[in-house]
Formats: sequence, structure tokens, C-alpha cells
Amino acid sequence: MSTMEETIEKLKVQIIEQLNLEDVTPDEIDADAPLFDSDLGLDSIDALEIIVMLEREYGLKIQSKEEGQKIFYSLKTMAEFVTEKIA
Amino acid sequence: MNNQVYINALACISPQDTLNAEQFLQSSEFVSGSPMRSIEPTYKEHIDRRYLRRMGRMVRMGVAAATKALADADIKNPDAILVGTGMGCLEDTEKFLRAIYESDENIASPNQFIQSTHNNVAAQIALMLGCYNYNFTYVHRGFSFESAMLDAILHVQEAGENKTDILVGACDELTDMYLEVTSKLNIWKSKVPRHSLKYNMGIKSEQGEGAAFFAVSNQRSQNTIASLDALRMVYKPQSSARLTDEIDHFLARQSLTLDDIDLVLLGYDGGGQKGDVYDEVVNSVFDGKNQAVYKHLCGEYKTAGAFATWLSCEMIRQQHVPEFVKWNAFEIDTIRRVLIFNNYNSANFVLSLLSHV
Repeated sequence: MSTMEETIEKLKVQIIEQLNLEDVTPDEIDADAPLFDSDLGLDSIDALEIIVMLEREYGLKIQSKEEGQKIFYSLKTMAEFVTEKIA
Repeated sequence: MNNQVYINALACISPQDTLNAEQFLQSSEFVSGSPMRSIEPTYKEHIDRRYLRRMGRMVRMGVAAATKALADADIKNPDAILVGTGMGCLEDTEKFLRAIYESDENIASPNQFIQSTHNNVAAQIALMLGCYNYNFTYVHRGFSFESAMLDAILHVQEAGENKTDILVGACDELTDMYLEVTSKLNIWKSKVPRHSLKYNMGIKSEQGEGAAFFAVSNQRSQNTIASLDALRMVYKPQSSARLTDEIDHFLARQSLTLDDIDLVLLGYDGGGQKGDVYDEVVNSVFDGKNQAVYKHLCGEYKTAGAFATWLSCEMIRQQHVPEFVKWNAFEIDTIRRVLIFNNYNSANFVLSLLSHV
């Protein structure tokens, strides 16, 4: 498993825990699919929760709304951001 | 009161199986515990999972009870949502404060903050319904539920002939930290002499929790359960004579005497009331009346009065007084009026009159 794949799997578990996504398993989250406006039913409060989680777990801060929209597009874009910053 | 205040539906989550009200009242047994924790339903049957995942225990209890009461009354958009809570969302408050502490006051979860606010139950109900009407939460210690109910009464009065549907209720929860902290205050029952009669009966109260909600209206429905005819709060009366006067005036304002009351539901908490103002008044004013108690069923908490109201309504609806609530021995054929005479911590006294309609 590559570093990117490992980061995606780790993020899946962390997001499920942070957002208390009951009845959702990591396998059910498509890494390429849009994270918001999806079956997961995430909203703006969840976006704030993910920002807090990234800061707490990885020490990463989102600098602007525009940057956040790109990073939070999908789990894959988020994993790319994390991998790049902590490399 | 000008308009009648009709209770058209109700639901209760408590340490007893109160969501199955008929079965519970007709049974001969009740659940005991120390402390008294609620029997919680499968929440997915009552609450959309999109909202459920964020809710703490108290919010789940409150929203589930409220949802059932609204569904039973067939109300989609109440004219007001009124909630009483003595302590608010304790579990989420603890989580929020712990997260702040552990992050050295740097990172706090927005959801934990939102969920920790005391008005969260009323807000979640409104969110789920898309209801933008009057929304208020009362946090008035031992008068929290009664304050919410008083607001509901005022809404009904102001509505005149226009139909108004109000959702009103209360909820409080127990947490381990709350139990730990309050146990240090020596305020709970194990620290004071229990009322001897209750002790002999094996009935004593512990700390409790629960949620009870009511759909009230100025108009009757086919399913109307009871009417709330009067409500009075009395804070720390100086003497038993003052409290006795309050009861006399309360009944006189309704053009009633004690002979018109079929059952008195008492708020003995199994603790230190023996010989105090409350006990004195019960023994003098209500001597010889049909008396029942309820706090051995739900435990003691600041909004236990909501459980008392639920129980009174169900006894009126089912025209049945379970043996396990009887304080003295009596048989009763028809329950027309129930007077709740409640007490919280020998400070908050409540008179509430419910009638069969």
C-alpha cells in the first residue's frame, strides 16, 4: 500500500470517528467522490469539524475558504494535501 | 384561565417503560435502580440518522419524546416549541470542556459547543421540522418545566379563537461526572434519613433523569387526554401556613374544594422531607385524600414535574391508578381531577391541576 493509500484509509477512519458517522464503514466512502453533497450528508458544521481534526491530528491549518474548497473536494484531495504538507 | 388548555398527545422516556404507557400502568411491577437511568428506545426509529449522529443522550431522549408527541397529535409545524431543562446538555458540556482542557484551550470542536448549549433540544426539534416559530428554553432549576408550561398556557390564552398547537416538555440527563460532583455535596438521599413510611414500603428515590413532551392546544381533538386547568409555582414559602393558603387560593380560583379532587400526586423524593414544610402540609391539608407518589419511578431531578404531569395524564386517560404509586390504601372508580403537589429540594413547590375532559 502506498503512502497516499495509507493516508486515505487513515483519513476515512478519522472522519468517521470525528463526525460520528454511525452505520458508515471506511469501505463505503469513495475516495474520488465529492465529500460534500454526497450520500454522507455532510454540511458546513462537518467542514468545521474536519478543519479542527486536521489541525489536531496533523498540525495543518486551512488558510482560506478557496483553499478549503479545493482540499475538501474529496478524500483523495484531502489526502494529497496531508501527504504534501507532512512529507 | 379563559381558554382551556388541552393536552392532546404526550410521550415520555424515563427509567420505566413509559413509551409503552398502557402496558406500564397496567403492570404490577416497576424498575428500581440507583441511580435511575432512562430506558432508551432505538432512536433510529424516531430520529433521522443525519441528525442523530450529532446528538448526545439528553438531546436524543428529548427529541425522540417530542417527535412521538407531535406525531401522535398529527402536528407538522407547532406554533411554539417550549422546553424546560434544569441542567441542560451535561454530557456534551463535559465533552466540550474536556476538549478545551486537553488542547490547552486551543482547539474546540464546533459541534460539541453547539450540542452543549442548553437550548439545543428545542433547536434540534425546530431544525428537524423546519419550524421558524417561537422557540424558547427555560433553565429555572426546579421550576424549569413549569416555566415552559406557563409559557404554553399564556400562548393558549393569547390565541383567542385561533387554533394554536404548542409543543412543550422537559428533559434532563444524568452523567457520571454529575453524579461524582453532586455526591460530594451530600445532597442525595443516601446522606439523609429516609421518610420512614417510604422506607418501610421499599420505596425511595434516587437521582433520576428523563424526558416528557406534550402537545397542547386551545382546541380539543378526538384524542384529547386531559385539560390543564391551573398551574401555580411557590418558591420557598416561609411556613406551612403560607403554603396551605396557596393551596386554598389555588382551589378557590377554580371554584373547587378538596372534595372535588380525586387524587393527589405527591412529590416526596424519599429523602429529607419528613417533618418539613412540605410534609407538614401533606399531612394536614391532604389527610384522608387519595394520595400517590411517583419519584420512585423516575428518580429526583429538576424537571421531574414533567414525569408527574405525564403520569397524571396517563392515569386520567386509562382511568387507572397502579398499585405501585398508591401512597395510602384506596380504590377509585372515576378519576376526574388530579392535583399534582410537587416539591423539589424543599424550595420549589408546584400545584398543577389536570382534569378529565
